[in-house]
Amino acid sequence: MTNNLVGFETLVKREMVRTFSIINQVIWPPVIQTLLYVFIFGLALGSRIKNVQGVSYAQFLIPGLIVMQVIDQTYSEGSSSVFQGRFMNSIQELLIAPMSALEIVLGYVVAGAVRAVFIALLITILGVVFVHIAPASWALYVLTIGLIAVLFSALGIIVGLLAEKFDHIAVLTTFFITPLVFVGGVFTSASLLPPIARKISFFNPMYHMVAAFRFSYTGQSDVPLGISLAVVAILAAVAFGVALRMTAAGVKLRT
Amino acid sequence: MIDPALKIDRLVKRYGDFTAVDGISFEVARGAFFGLLGPNGAGKTTTINAIVGLAHITSGAISLFGHDVVRDWRAARRRVGLAPQEYNFDRYLNIRDVLIYQAGYYGLRGAEVARRADALLERFDLSSKAKQPYTRLSGGMKRRLSLARALIHEPPLVILDEPTAGVDVELRLELWALLRELNRSGTTIILTTHYLEEAEELCDRIGIIQHGRLVALEETKQLVGQRSLQDVFLELTAR
Repeated sequence: MTNNLVGFETLVKREMVRTFSIINQVIWPPVIQTLLYVFIFGLALGSRIKNVQGVSYAQFLIPGLIVMQVIDQTYSEGSSSVFQGRFMNSIQELLIAPMSALEIVLGYVVAGAVRAVFIALLITILGVVFVHIAPASWALYVLTIGLIAVLFSALGIIVGLLAEKFDHIAVLTTFFITPLVFVGGVFTSASLLPPIARKISFFNPMYHMVAAFRFSYTGQSDVPLGISLAVVAILAAVAFGVALRMTAAGVKLRT
Repeated sequence: MIDPALKIDRLVKRYGDFTAVDGISFEVARGAFFGLLGPNGAGKTTTINAIVGLAHITSGAISLFGHDVVRDWRAARRRVGLAPQEYNFDRYLNIRDVLIYQAGYYGLRGAEVARRADALLERFDLSSKAKQPYTRLSGGMKRRLSLARALIHEPPLVILDEPTAGVDVELRLELWALLRELNRSGTTIILTTHYLEEAEELCDRIGIIQHGRLVALEETKQLVGQRSLQDVFLELTAR
């Protein structure tokens, strides 16, 4: 036997069981939070803001909010699943089975991508119902969400492997992910920023994720789509490679 | 020549400056009931972890039924089941699914796996708990579930790391009966235990580890002779 496709599929399915076992922690919070953002920032305050990139402010918000929630949930679920498996030793079920590091990492990452697309679709439906906007390019929509999910699932695995306590998982979220997402164009277009802030934004990876994904809705971006996609793809490949290397080396998995 | 179920050749496992396993070699024949004994920290669990792939081997070699656990790891892992000392069940799965998903990790699925899971639940008297989470099981039931999980992929070798630790006498006898039956059906068993009477009762051959070295490796009857296993053990492991 050269590979274990059933093992990989089983891990994906197991991660889905986990997700829906804690649905109030994984699925509903991003949906509720998005609704609140749309009503408060989009419909209430946003009515005082003129069109952005050719759409209303509430419509402009939707793709950014999708990216924000996908990043948050993909990272937190990926990291907590791996960390919890280590903490409870249940990950040993995988480690003693005939599963390669690639099959294990792919299992977690694909499950993360499925979870990400599911959350994105729920918020997309909210966008259609409440602010009447839908993606113009579904191919770009799925590609961008897929790349973002790979990146943050892999980051989740890396941190899940390195963490010694749950508190460590929050470090990346609190000090890096959340601040970078908030200044990454979720709420404003770079064209509205002062020139210096606009230049700094260009080095913020979250800015490129939001920009590429928003392009799937508006067909417009402050930065060339190819550059944004390339940034996200390269980061996703690097994170996946590091997660794979760490898993293959058995970092904090095998003694 | 038929390969033994387990062959360990000059196994060394170091953690930094500490040598947990110091060049042990032994074989376990197919169909044997082998006891791996030693005081706490002697290197038993490290040896088991090296066999099943939970510990990297510093030097030496291990093969299962002729398959090297490093070079031919997929084939080797398919042939061994582990019931660890600590419970490590997946908390998001019910008891039946613990078995079904474990089979999945071994590349197995479908009606045959469902049949096996139901048969194991029946055999270990867990059928009535099939849809419950493992957290609702008693200690004895968890031990039985651990054994059932180790058997779901029908491995020819099962390693049991202190399977009767913390269980009452009645359940221990019940588990002994299950293990004997399993061994009679052709499954090779490697058992670690601190209950020396358990090893004496069940194992046809015993290895004793002390400070990472094998200090005894004999047929149980020959090792014990006219004495008790406890006397022999204390003599061999005296610090």
